[in-house]
Amino acid sequence: MKHLIPEFEVWKKRYPAGFEGSLVIPCCRRIQEDRGYVADSDIAELAEYLSVPRIQVEEVLAFYTQFRRKPIGQWHVQLCHNVSCSMRGSEGLLVHLRNKLGVAPGQTTADGKFTLSTVECLASCGTAPMMMVNDTYYENLDAQKVDTLLAMLAEGAPS
Amino acid sequence: MSGGTKLFMNFDITPTSHTLAEYKARGGYQALAKALKEMKPDQVTKEVLSSGLLGHGGAAFLAGRKWGVVKLNDGQPHYLCMNADEGEPGTFKDRWFLENTPHLLLESMLIGSYALQGRHSFIYIRGEFDLAYRRMAESLEEAYAAGLFGENIMGTDFSCDLVIYRGAGSYVCGEASAMLTSLEGKKGYPRNRPPRLTVAGLYQKPTVVNNVETLANVPYIVTHGAEGFRKVGTATSPGTQVISVSGHINTPGVYELEYGYPFADFLANECGGMLNGSELKCVVPGGISTKVLTREDIMPLAMDHNSFVAAGSQLGSQGMIVVAEGTCMVRLLQVMLRFYHHESCGQCTPCREGMGWLERISNRLVAGEGRPEDISRLYQISRANDGTTICGLGDAAGYATVGILDKYRHEFEYYIENKRSMYEGRLEVAGLGESARAIAASAVA
Amino acid sequence: MIEFFIDGVPMTAESGQTVIQAATAAGVLIPSFCWHPHLSAPGNCRICMVEIEQDGGDPWFDIACNMPVTKGMRILTDSDKVRELRKDTMQFITLNHPVDCGICNKSGECLLQDHHYAYNGQPSLSRDSKTHATKFYPLSDRIMLDNERCIMCSRCVRFTDEISKSHALGVLNRGDHSLIRPNTEVDFNYDPYSDNVIDICPVGALLSTQLLDHARVWYLKNTPSVCPGCERGCNINVWHRKPEWKLNALSPRLNTSIDRVTPLDNPAVNGPWICNKARDLSKLLERPRAEVAMVKGAPVSVEHAVRTAAAMIAIARKGVALVSSWGSNEELAAYHSTLAPSFTNFVKADHVPLPGERIEDDVLIKPDKNPNRHSARAMFDALPENPADALSAATDLVFVWGEGAPMEAIPASARVILLSSYAHDDNAHADVFLPISVQTERNGHYTNFQGVVSEFQQCFQKASGVADASALFESLFSSMSGGPATLASPLPSNQRMVLSAPMPTTPPAGGE
Repeated sequence: MKHLIPEFEVWKKRYPAGFEGSLVIPCCRRIQEDRGYVADSDIAELAEYLSVPRIQVEEVLAFYTQFRRKPIGQWHVQLCHNVSCSMRGSEGLLVHLRNKLGVAPGQTTADGKFTLSTVECLASCGTAPMMMVNDTYYENLDAQKVDTLLAMLAEGAPS
Repeated sequence: MSGGTKLFMNFDITPTSHTLAEYKARGGYQALAKALKEMKPDQVTKEVLSSGLLGHGGAAFLAGRKWGVVKLNDGQPHYLCMNADEGEPGTFKDRWFLENTPHLLLESMLIGSYALQGRHSFIYIRGEFDLAYRRMAESLEEAYAAGLFGENIMGTDFSCDLVIYRGAGSYVCGEASAMLTSLEGKKGYPRNRPPRLTVAGLYQKPTVVNNVETLANVPYIVTHGAEGFRKVGTATSPGTQVISVSGHINTPGVYELEYGYPFADFLANECGGMLNGSELKCVVPGGISTKVLTREDIMPLAMDHNSFVAAGSQLGSQGMIVVAEGTCMVRLLQVMLRFYHHESCGQCTPCREGMGWLERISNRLVAGEGRPEDISRLYQISRANDGTTICGLGDAAGYATVGILDKYRHEFEYYIENKRSMYEGRLEVAGLGESARAIAASAVA
Repeated sequence: MIEFFIDGVPMTAESGQTVIQAATAAGVLIPSFCWHPHLSAPGNCRICMVEIEQDGGDPWFDIACNMPVTKGMRILTDSDKVRELRKDTMQFITLNHPVDCGICNKSGECLLQDHHYAYNGQPSLSRDSKTHATKFYPLSDRIMLDNERCIMCSRCVRFTDEISKSHALGVLNRGDHSLIRPNTEVDFNYDPYSDNVIDICPVGALLSTQLLDHARVWYLKNTPSVCPGCERGCNINVWHRKPEWKLNALSPRLNTSIDRVTPLDNPAVNGPWICNKARDLSKLLERPRAEVAMVKGAPVSVEHAVRTAAAMIAIARKGVALVSSWGSNEELAAYHSTLAPSFTNFVKADHVPLPGERIEDDVLIKPDKNPNRHSARAMFDALPENPADALSAATDLVFVWGEGAPMEAIPASARVILLSSYAHDDNAHADVFLPISVQTERNGHYTNFQGVVSEFQQCFQKASGVADASALFESLFSSMSGGPATLASPLPSNQRMVLSAPMPTTPPAGGE
């Protein structure tokens, strides 16, 4: 984590004095961007850097769904299964994804390429059904579009 | 123009329409200049109060009154925080502002911070909004480079720094006090009141939390005054609402409507009518935490706060979900209860235990294992979460449950007695549903 | 002072108090799980909800632990609606609770049991299976956590944040998947106040590993005492078997040993907290005991040992006494009025910090690991840093009372009279050895570092060869002046022995 400190120092300048603890969440995100997940050593180093109790970092990592303490697949396929998306076909898409990837939500494909998750409302109800892969929204989906996207991602390139 | 005057959705969206240059070309940052150079901070607040601007986050509280509570010369730091943690299912209108009018929001933050004499301000964006975050962050750097943030803005002695803070996946962080606790770098646990956040909020200092759209109205109010703002909308609901609509309609999306616009027109025009020729069954008006309104309830209504309250519901977070005949309300409730259970923070007893209980009962109902007392149990759990919890999540699950049970009890009774849905468990309108069942049927077990 | 009403009864509150604080101070019980008078109020359990009457309007309902008292407020704690709210809350709290009282150690002193019987008393309304969680999670080596029993009151977390400041505990996950967990380096082992969370846990989620399934609480009684672990002198409850519940089939020692130690709330000393050293008092007090008087290692009767020692004291030219800092106020008074004039007296530290033991902090722990140095030092000087400064070569008699004396600094030519409670190799090398009682075997008082006097009461009987030190001082003194060497009957705890006339000089009648 130490190589990220120069970036963190820049962020600190925009915050008022005494707000160091606030940096826990943005720093965890940046660490995860960099490493793919937040490691135990990162927790110790971050707690020391920000002078917060170690348990605070652990609580944050466990409370928020976007943080993880273990690596996952290259592409995190996050399908919304909330109300509007369910009303526009997401349940069928889930079946389709399970078959196509051969995994259940929460699991990663054997080749390490795809992790499948079901998630709650991503505020994209007008373009349902939809999913988020890593940080990108893919909207107005159907089985065919999903197949095309998965094929492109399997090659290594986001569309 | 259908839907009346447009305060926001009045320009063409292009790949560059969100930039500083084009925003300025549309008149951007002139309201800020007027506020900083011609008005005192408390005058700005007075204008916002007189305008009658109501909050657009779901509670419809008078925005100016919240600002007015903060004592300007108490020697304490004051924080203005924009709540961009849009998470209420069915709602996606704040996202429109974040992605398409980032500078409008930044200008509103500057004006608001000036009115509240806040040196630092924050925009809390939900973690999943990657594009919105990048747009806002890039726009912020543009604004800093143009001297619109930092020291001595526009040559006045007003200085302001802004932090765009990104969440990490938690619906409850949309609750104002939970949002602030998250902003302190902790779990998003809501807080009991007292103290109110305007007295002790972010790091226990006076804090005003406002919704994205609420703040977006502020530059217009400064430019045109309270009088000018009140020319739009109705007497009790001045201005416009940017409404997100989805579900079984032909053209779901984000639309700006003057308050008072008839729902029947909205359904026919903006929504493009019902999907695949289906009939309207009911509407969840303002996010799933508002009580469902049947076709009979909603068709005669004008879209303003009082009309919806009189009908037994509310405009809420402006996330409307339109449901067609043939949809199974038991299954719909199940999806909602799964959501609340997933998002409960776990602090307080009625919500922590109640949400799981509600979901378990609804799962049993859907699996054909419902019992006659389940309906009264759902009512009881909802009642026991009404006004007894730290935040509104428990109450919200109760409203969703009671709203659906009050109108569609017969579907639940049918499901319990016959161990199956009245409508084949359908959530999709006929047509799309077929494809889902076909896919399911072809699935390898 | 603010005047308000609870159930129609006028009350007063101090400015800034919440309703539950004012009610508690007035002796009105409002139930709580998460609220604790010494911790912050998170307001999460919701059982303390009360009704507030309004003139000309509907009443409102809110938690009492976060409600500032306002003038004229009218609180109802037992209305129909409040009862209904409490019933609802109890329903939710026990929804996923295993209700395994039959095998739970907290049974009999459990707030959940108490509040259930008082406010609900009904079986669960749920027909769904309970959620499950970890049953035997080691929170530390000393504390076992049962996540199913946990009601997420967060008292334990707040204790580690606000009192012990170890920040060792937190809540992972959210909703009904929330789990109390230590931070992953399991720092909780290094929190010397960790076991307080066992007391404050309102259910059987946090239990002492050492005491697991040890004894039902209703077989035990608590005797007030004082922890001798340091000069703070925390007030404690020593728990031991009730005589009517003595074990007949197992070792009789179990009927005369310390089952557990808990805090005794003394606002002037320790409040409701103690450190783990007090919890482990049996380790300190129940080490192998010395029970037989000896002369140069040979067992003798107490009387013979007393006569022998008294004769040594009488003829000593330069006697030095090393006075125990574990002596009670009563023992010190008895010593002062009997033997003290015969010696140059120095107060020693019977115990010093062990390797790894916390020396001092701003919570409770004090650096001097002896309970009554304060009183002893009011009478005598401290033993110098270098004990040889007090034990010159001319010293011909050293009277050692208690443990921890620098025996190696005693000149080889000096005689040693040793009074101690515990078995030790030094005992057999002393010229005279006399076993003495420990604090659980008598009544007495210690004075702590701030001058606060606290009482400890007797829990157990002494073994037959063991005497109270004060009784020995009396009989040694008596024997020195030619009086009897038999032990005087135990003195009242606060009485000083005053000798009015010289004792006869004829030797005592009778032989060995």
